[in-house]
Amino acid sequence: MSVEVEVNENDLAEMVEQVWESYLDPEGINPLIPTYDENQPSEVHSSVSISGSWTGHIVYACSIEAARRAAAAFLAMEPDEVSQEDLSDVLGELANIVGGNVKAMLPPGAFLSLPQVVLAPESTARFPNTERISGVYGIWDGEPVSISMWHSRADNNQEDGA
Amino acid sequence: MRAMVIDDSRAMRMILKRIVTKLNFDAVEAGDGQEALDLLADMPEVPELALIDWNMPNMNGLEFVTNVRADPRLREMTLVMVTTESEQSQIVRALAAGAHEYVIKPFTEGAMIEKLALLGLVPTGANS
Repeated sequence: MSVEVEVNENDLAEMVEQVWESYLDPEGINPLIPTYDENQPSEVHSSVSISGSWTGHIVYACSIEAARRAAAAFLAMEPDEVSQEDLSDVLGELANIVGGNVKAMLPPGAFLSLPQVVLAPESTARFPNTERISGVYGIWDGEPVSISMWHSRADNNQEDGA
Repeated sequence: MRAMVIDDSRAMRMILKRIVTKLNFDAVEAGDGQEALDLLADMPEVPELALIDWNMPNMNGLEFVTNVRADPRLREMTLVMVTTESEQSQIVRALAAGAHEYVIKPFTEGAMIEKLALLGLVPTGANS
């Protein structure tokens, strides 16, 4: 059984800020600028699923260019040197880091999956029977990036699926 | 000195490798706990340090720590968990299993170096 839990935009924003400070913008010159636009486009996404005391998903979505720049920052290389493997690996790790920190805010007994990376827009992979409960939406170096949290409505599984 | 970096994410291995190389360690990489144990079995000299992720396929970090602690040949290795598992109960489990230190992702390079310095693993004159 899953319990209701509140991880709000501020909590997510704080985690995202730590990720930027640690890996994507250690100099503090290129932060993620909030847009608050839930419908901003994405071209690639990664996710981790949480099960147990809470069930849902953490999704990191962005443009290919933002993913390439993230991989370049992570791997200390030039953006044009980034391979598809680099891109997938870094996207997965970003979802894993945010997901792991979200899990720490959940009731004990939550489990984190290994990350999944899909080189397609987030909109192609909305998890069934979930609702968005929180998200950080922004522009990084002119490119869209979002981190959102989706709660599985497990208690509704027996309903008509509407 | 030699360090083993164990993480299923190549990106994270590269970040950790960069840090320990800066500290004058020779770095060896493994993608999971089992691969790390296999590499250790073939090494004539045991690395002084292992930086270990928790969630990995095949063998997770906690199982790796338990295996290392059960092997007298590997007793001298300093084990540092580097993971997103940040609940108090998980930290206690890892330390009880034999990890010496615990670093939560995301971490800055400075924070990692500080942690290794506390363990006496930052050589004098290293570029920290």
